Amino acid sequence: MFPGKGVRPMAEMSREKIAAVEESALDQIHDIDIDDVIDYVHKDLKRLPGYMDLYRRYLRQRWDVYDLDFAQDARDWTERMTQEERDAFVAISSGFHHGERQVEVELPVFMLGGSEESRIYMSSQIEDEARHTVFFDRFYREVVGLPGESVQEVLDASFEHVSETFVGPFGLLAYQADELRADPDDLAARVRYGTTYFLWIEGVLALSVMKITLSYCRDRGFLPGYYAGFTATCRDEARHVQFGMRFLREAVQSDPRLLSQIHETLRTILAINGATSRRVMLEALGWSAEEVRRLMIRQLTMKLTDVGIGLPPDLQRMIAGIQPELAGG
Amino acid sequence: MTGLFTSEWAEQVRAAVDQGPAEDVRAGKLPSYWQWIENVRAVYSSSWALGVRDLAGAGPHYLRLGWKDGICAEASITGPDDPLQATYVLAADLATWRDLLGGEDPGRIVMYRRLRLEEGDVVRFFRGIYFFVESIAVIGRVPARLP
Ligand SMILES: [Fe+2]
Ligand SMILES: [Fe+2]
Repeated sequence: MFPGKGVRPMAEMSREKIAAVEESALDQIHDIDIDDVIDYVHKDLKRLPGYMDLYRRYLRQRWDVYDLDFAQDARDWTERMTQEERDAFVAISSGFHHGERQVEVELPVFMLGGSEESRIYMSSQIEDEARHTVFFDRFYREVVGLPGESVQEVLDASFEHVSETFVGPFGLLAYQADELRADPDDLAARVRYGTTYFLWIEGVLALSVMKITLSYCRDRGFLPGYYAGFTATCRDEARHVQFGMRFLREAVQSDPRLLSQIHETLRTILAINGATSRRVMLEALGWSAEEVRRLMIRQLTMKLTDVGIGLPPDLQRMIAGIQPELAGG
Repeated sequence: MTGLFTSEWAEQVRAAVDQGPAEDVRAGKLPSYWQWIENVRAVYSSSWALGVRDLAGAGPHYLRLGWKDGICAEASITGPDDPLQATYVLAADLATWRDLLGGEDPGRIVMYRRLRLEEGDVVRFFRGIYFFVESIAVIGRVPARLP
C-alpha cells in the first residue's frame, strides 16, 4: 500500500512538467505520470482558459486512436495478470466503456446552446468522446477478447460487467439531455446538466478511475497500449473539465440564483452515490475502498473550491459520506 | 394470462411491485443496495404513469401506480381520452415493453432513453432511481399478453 495515495498535495507544476503533459505526442506519453496529468487538470482552475484557447489546445493534442498498439497488452492480459486483477480491471473499465458512449451521445444537445465559442469548442469534445469510445472498443476486442461485429455488439458483450448503479449518474445525464433538447438555451437546465456531466462524471468519477487504473498499470508495468491511450484520454479530460468549470462559474456569475441548480443536482448525485450493488475487488489493483473514497472527495472539493462554488451544510455532510463509485466518460 | 394495459394486469402489477423483488433477484446484488431502496421506499409518496405510446392502434395508454408512504396503494389504466395526472409521466414504444417483458435490463432501457420522462422533475425523479428501476424489473416479470 502507498500511504496517503490519492491525496497527493497540489504542488506547483514546473514549466518542464507542464510542457511534457501539454506537448507529448502519443508515442511519448508513456513517460508521463498520471499524477502530473491530474495536477494539470487542476492547475488552471483558478484562472480558467477561454473556450477558443481550449479549442486550440485540442487541435495540438488530438491523437489517433488507431496508432495505439495493443499487442503487448494482450500478452500481459493473458500471461502476466492474475484472474483477480483481470476481473477487477474489467469491472472498472466497463463503466468507462459504456460511460464514453453515453457522454458522446448526450453531448450534441449541449452544443446547440451557448455562445459561438462554446459551440466551436464543443465540436472538439464530441470528437474526443467518440474517439474515447473507439479506444475502449479496441481495448475490449484486442486485449480482453470480447466478440462483436459492431461497436454496439462489443458494448453488449461488456454490459454484464457494468454495475446496476451505472444508471444513476448516466441515466440522469440521459434524461437531463432529453430535458435540454426541449430548449437548449435554458440556462438552468444547462447548469443542471453541466453539474452531472462536467463536475461529477468527468471531474470526479472519470479522473478517479483514471488514477486507479493508470497507477496500477504504471506500478506493475502492464498494459502499455492502455496506459498510453488512457493517459492521452486523461489529458483530453483536462480540457473537458476546464471547459465545464468555466461554464459553471460563468453561469453562476451571470445569475447567482443558478447556484441552487448546482446544489439541487449535487443532492441527487450524492443521494444515489450511497447505493452499491456489487463489490469491486479494488485491492487487486492496489487500492482500498477508503483510499478511493478520499480520492473522490478530494477530486470534488478541489474543483468546488477553485471554481468558487460554496456549499450548504447538508451537502458538506453528504460529500463527507461519499462512497466508491467506478465509472466515467 | 392477462393482457398488457388491462385493469386485471394493473392489479397484478400493483401487488407485485408492492411485494418487491423475489429472493433470487435480491441474492444477486449486495444487501446495502436493497437497503438503499428500502430507505427511499419507506417515505415514497409519488406516483408514476408508465405509458405505451401506441397500444397497437388503440392510442397511448398509461399504467398509473400511486405510492403512499412506501405502499403501492393504487393502480389504474388510463386511455387516450382520460385525464392523466401523476408526479412522473414516462412513456415507451410497444417494442420496449415487449423487450422488458422478454427480460431486457430496465437500467439499460433508461440509459438508452427507450423509456423517457415526459413530465416531472428529472433531478427529483432520480433520487429514487434504483427503487424505480427495480420496480420496472418486477413489472417485466409479471406475465402479460402483448396486443
Ligand atoms: Fe470527457
Ligand atoms: Fe471521454
